[in-house]
Amino acid sequence: MGLMRACSFLAVVLASFTLPLIAQDQAEFFEKKIRPLLAASCAGCHNPKTKTAGLDLSTGEGFMAGGAGGALINTSNLTDSRLLRVTSYDETLKMPPQGKLSAEQLQDLATWVNAGAAWPGVDATKMAPAAGKMITRKHGSAFSDAEKKFWAFQPVQAAKAPSVQSTAWPKSPIDNFILAGLEAKGLKPSAPAGKLALLRRVTFDLTGLPPTEAEISAFLADSSSAAFAKVVDRLLESPRYGERWGRHWLDVSRYADSTGNDEDHRYPYAWRYRDYVIDSYNKDVPYNQFVREQLAGDLLPSPDGAQINKRGRIATGFLALGAKAIAQQDKKKMLYDVYDEQVDVTSKAFLGLTMSCSRCHDHKFDPILQRDYYSMIGFFANTKSFKDAETHVSKLLYLPLVPPAEYKKYQDHLDKVSAKKLEMEDVVEGEKERLAKELTPRLADYMLAAKTVATGAAKSAGVAKEKNLDEPILNKWVEYQKFDWRQKPHLEAWSKATPETIAAVARTYQENYAAQLVKWDATIARWRENARKMLKEMDMPPPPRPEFKAEEDGFFFDIYFERGGPFAISERDQDKRFSADAKAAMARLKLEQEELKKNGPPEPDMACGVEDASSAVKQQLFIRGDYNSLGEETPKAYPIILTKGGDVMPGDKGSGRLALADWIAGESNPLTARVMANRIWQRHFGEGIVRTPDNFGKMGERPTHPELLDYLASSFVDNGWSVKKLHRQILLTAAYQMSSAPSPEALEKDSENRLLSHFNRRRLDVEEIRDGLLAVDGSLDYEMGGTMQKGVGTDGENSQDRLSVNPDKLKRRTVYVPLRRANLPALLNLFDFGDATTTSGKRAVTNVAPQALFMLNSEFLSERSANLAARILKDKTAPAERLELTYLRTLNRQPEAGEIDSALTYLDAYRKKFPGDNAETAAWQSLVRALMASNDFVYVD
Amino acid sequence: MDFSHPFKHLYQNQTQQPLSRRGALRAAALGFGHLGLSGLLASEQQPSNPLAPKKPHFEPKAKRVIFLFMHGGPSSVDTFDPKERLTRDHGKPLPMKRPLAFADAPAGPLMKSPWEFKNMGQSGIPVSSLFPHTRECVDDMCVVRSLVGEGVDHGAALLQTFTGSSTFVRPAMGSWVVYGLGSENRDLPGFVTIKPALSHGGSKNWSSAFLPGAYQGTAIGNSGMKSKDIEGEPIEYLIRKGFTPEQQRFELDMIQNINRRHAAMRSADPELEARIQAFELAFRMQTQAPEAFDMSKETEATKKLYGMDAPETSEFGWQCLLARRLAERGVRYIQCTHSYKWDQHGQLFEKHNENAREVDKPIAGLLRDLKSRGLLKDTLVIWAGEFGRTPVSQGNDGRDHNPYGYSIWMAGGGVKPGFIYGATDDIGYHAVEDRMHIHDFHATVLHLLGMTHDKLTYRYSGRDFRLTDVAGSVAHKIIA
Repeated sequence: MGLMRACSFLAVVLASFTLPLIAQDQAEFFEKKIRPLLAASCAGCHNPKTKTAGLDLSTGEGFMAGGAGGALINTSNLTDSRLLRVTSYDETLKMPPQGKLSAEQLQDLATWVNAGAAWPGVDATKMAPAAGKMITRKHGSAFSDAEKKFWAFQPVQAAKAPSVQSTAWPKSPIDNFILAGLEAKGLKPSAPAGKLALLRRVTFDLTGLPPTEAEISAFLADSSSAAFAKVVDRLLESPRYGERWGRHWLDVSRYADSTGNDEDHRYPYAWRYRDYVIDSYNKDVPYNQFVREQLAGDLLPSPDGAQINKRGRIATGFLALGAKAIAQQDKKKMLYDVYDEQVDVTSKAFLGLTMSCSRCHDHKFDPILQRDYYSMIGFFANTKSFKDAETHVSKLLYLPLVPPAEYKKYQDHLDKVSAKKLEMEDVVEGEKERLAKELTPRLADYMLAAKTVATGAAKSAGVAKEKNLDEPILNKWVEYQKFDWRQKPHLEAWSKATPETIAAVARTYQENYAAQLVKWDATIARWRENARKMLKEMDMPPPPRPEFKAEEDGFFFDIYFERGGPFAISERDQDKRFSADAKAAMARLKLEQEELKKNGPPEPDMACGVEDASSAVKQQLFIRGDYNSLGEETPKAYPIILTKGGDVMPGDKGSGRLALADWIAGESNPLTARVMANRIWQRHFGEGIVRTPDNFGKMGERPTHPELLDYLASSFVDNGWSVKKLHRQILLTAAYQMSSAPSPEALEKDSENRLLSHFNRRRLDVEEIRDGLLAVDGSLDYEMGGTMQKGVGTDGENSQDRLSVNPDKLKRRTVYVPLRRANLPALLNLFDFGDATTTSGKRAVTNVAPQALFMLNSEFLSERSANLAARILKDKTAPAERLELTYLRTLNRQPEAGEIDSALTYLDAYRKKFPGDNAETAAWQSLVRALMASNDFVYVD
Repeated sequence: MDFSHPFKHLYQNQTQQPLSRRGALRAAALGFGHLGLSGLLASEQQPSNPLAPKKPHFEPKAKRVIFLFMHGGPSSVDTFDPKERLTRDHGKPLPMKRPLAFADAPAGPLMKSPWEFKNMGQSGIPVSSLFPHTRECVDDMCVVRSLVGEGVDHGAALLQTFTGSSTFVRPAMGSWVVYGLGSENRDLPGFVTIKPALSHGGSKNWSSAFLPGAYQGTAIGNSGMKSKDIEGEPIEYLIRKGFTPEQQRFELDMIQNINRRHAAMRSADPELEARIQAFELAFRMQTQAPEAFDMSKETEATKKLYGMDAPETSEFGWQCLLARRLAERGVRYIQCTHSYKWDQHGQLFEKHNENAREVDKPIAGLLRDLKSRGLLKDTLVIWAGEFGRTPVSQGNDGRDHNPYGYSIWMAGGGVKPGFIYGATDDIGYHAVEDRMHIHDFHATVLHLLGMTHDKLTYRYSGRDFRLTDVAGSVAHKIIA
């Protein structure tokens, strides 16, 4: 390679001598100025070896070819060449990164580029820029056979249950798949779990709560073969089921109640999406419909024939509720970050694909092209998530849940309120104008008087009286004079005035002020007229009131506008300074406005959702993810690997989201049913058949039981995408009802329990711990739905209102605790809740000391244990009975003989060691707390 | 104290059952050493406490970090980067295209600094009169005048300063450092952030993101709280009100009794054991940690050195003194946040004066105290905002955000003392010499701690992640 490089270099050198393509002086200039400059400042990174950004600046060919960012020279507009732009340091990309070139060097570069950027010996016309070439694989042909044959992209095959040796064990075809796997390894399934363990397992699994004493006795008393099936049916019918399983989906859809990132604005109606999810699970809405609603519910007809598809609009919260940086000032970047986030959640949640990895280049591991990514972006670039993205802090979109006519009524009412406000402003402005006209001719007098007072020559009261000036106003002038002109440059003339010139200087200030006032009054008058017109004639909300910019006239700004400015009239001053007529008018208008507000229609229900954008975006590929580097056009389309090259185009009209939803929820999509069946399996068994539930790609894990996954996926579809039917299928297997005790052989041969020889013991998640403890002491509040979020928008930077509501103090189920994304509740952070920012189909499980501190020290545990101890002491008298109730409540089982002994010993020792009036109660509280904090409670077998 | 317990026998002399490989690995991931891990193959990595001290990649210059964060963005041209041209051309329009700004309004004219600069110490580094105390320590400081970030709004800028990414949720620098080096004190968290800001990303700025939760920053109060309200319970759930340590140990023994019995009835499950160990560690933490936060043993002279005797400096003084106490006790990464103060779009003169007054004496006190205790040589002190401010005015008396070239300083921990690195253009808008992108800054900090930034990686979602993403180069010139 070294030789080849040397040869090509030689060729260039030779060429420059034998084929002079450019004038001799140009070549000299190049060799003297440009080549050394490129070699010293650029070729350190942009050389044939490292080729940073695909660019090689050591040769003419490399230079002409350009890099991933495109050509360096813009032949149609030389001064706008990329080379000059990046070296100018005026743009985001600044080259060279170690420091700006000297002015002389920049001048040389500009001279060379503007003369055509000729490189001796290289014919630029024969060189094609490299942009795009190296980073995008062409169409489907680029896929390898292995990629095309990758398991997850193959159609779902309805597999038949394999035959097994121990035919007595299977209760369902699912068991055959499991048992066949075990038998192949010479393993046996564990024994069935005990009845109590099984009841605790399934109750937490389906409802997130422990079984009650009544449920325990009923199940123990039912010796029929259908006893367990009855329990499953009962639990699936409980509204607690939707709260538990809806929460699993909220993990996948990265649900939270605020934007997170910079401003952390509340999503005021996010909770409706959360309630929609819970309701959908409780009603067993078919999963394909659930998918379509979340992606395109706003475009679906209303199921009840109503004008507005309320449910559909709410469902699009799936797309709307991601983390957003709404104060980002590069608004295009902000929007494409939002679209990216929407592609990410859509592809991970429904397809188990990490499509966002293709934003800057083709996917590093999966056959997903950068082109596929931008084709997908097209759906969302034509979808609105903002009411107005261009404002300083972008405004989020809220969708009304009432028919347009009704919403218009509300808006009309709001307009009336604004009109009334405008009338009030008219009065205020009128008075201000009047007062300003009185004060302006006295401005010079005030300034001069203030000077007199400031120098200590006289007191302000005396001066005011003598000159017939208002004393409080004069005092403000005295304060204002104290400013150093170095802070307020417009005071320079005043500060430097001499006793001889001071009167004239003051007059000049007054004249300028008067002129500015005339101009400003005209601006305000124009706005008022315009606002009135928009309200009355065009039926539109008035434009925002213009603001006077300090840059325009610092002095006028300070005097007329600044809070406490000498001639400014604050609201507090109004009473003092306004005329009697004006005050009366204000009082009347205030009354009318209050009346109006009282009798107006209430705010209609709203949702945080998305809708189709009104103008169409023709999406192009962004080279290296940079929106300034546009590549080929990428019409809306689905990933090529999943459509087998047959381009299924959703068409150009609208966002195309409905077509996208139909394609994802279609029966032929190889991923959708598999991904969801796997999610459900995983929540029941602790591990999925694919153990990376959000990544079915190459870097994800392979299925442990591929045929079983297909069996589940196809029966899921055959059963009308019913999630509850899938639960029943899974729960009524022998596999689900196994004990969690592994055999020594299983530990040795299958230490990760991939073959499922026993049930996976699991730690309760944070919702189960908190809700479970509230249920145990009887204080859980079962109220469903609605929001506990208070306030609007965001809060002061240091305000404690930025914290999420503390769930330690609440009694509602955890799923209803509002989540401020930037500051999630400490308890949730502590117990592996995740960050509610990206799809999280599987939470981490950690056991760390701060969690133990919660168990040992929190008031929450103190309250729970005090409540339960009180109840036990009240309801039962015999110690044995008390202990029995304690164990039933906390651990959902009877205490064993050894446990009774040790508990009684403990109570006794506690009372003796820590005697006092409340020793009995304290001892029981301590015992209850110990049980609540124990592994026995926190783990489910 | 007598912790004899009636049921010790219940959890003694239990035989260990075989442990699965998965289980053992999980135990390792959970972070607790376990005596019974004989099931592990010899070739496999020994499981350890995730916070156990780890060897860096090479001999480090610094062992720990104290990051003094000035939330809001102090102005560089008014503090550490004097610009003669601003005085000369005061009031003239900006002589170049304005880069993306935060304010919507057009740029105001160039505005000179209202503060006087003075060349200080042996090194003669100029520092403005905003920091009369800190500038006395200038010979210990390395001023970097060429930091460059990408976020023009606070949220993006904070996230990038602390995690490297201005957009995505990524582990904080403190989390990476503790992941790489562990902590030297097993009873205290390795990454502590004192009064962090709730705004502009809030906890995302000290979160471990996809790194294991053990590397999460532990917040001591928050920016909206006063130190006197924090002192009572500096760490969430650290104290059980109305309960003596003796009662607590007694109750804990019962919990462990139940846990041991529970575990004994099940074949060895490392997760169960991990949770048992977590309770022991928690108990040690709550016994040891309060001492670290108890300042009553500090002398009046020390408190005075940090300005804790004056109302305007007592809050940040408390934070700085606490930082020193934690540093002494081996906490790896400590952050003190002064929030949310420095965002002077207006009232620059008044508010910058006020802010500087609040931190100046405490910072000087910290530097002097660390030095006199011999801690400064291996403690890297960093002073920075999330960006600087524009050389042009906003309104009458304000400056907008400027991430394109701003000043920070470092001290101790192996940086060249009395040294200026990098330069901005002649008005102080863009860094033009020895530009230090935030990725480079991170790479340099990791280097000082003995780590190669592109080798400190964590595999997540099929990819190796690092603090510096795909960029970053070490600023070798600033290393002593």
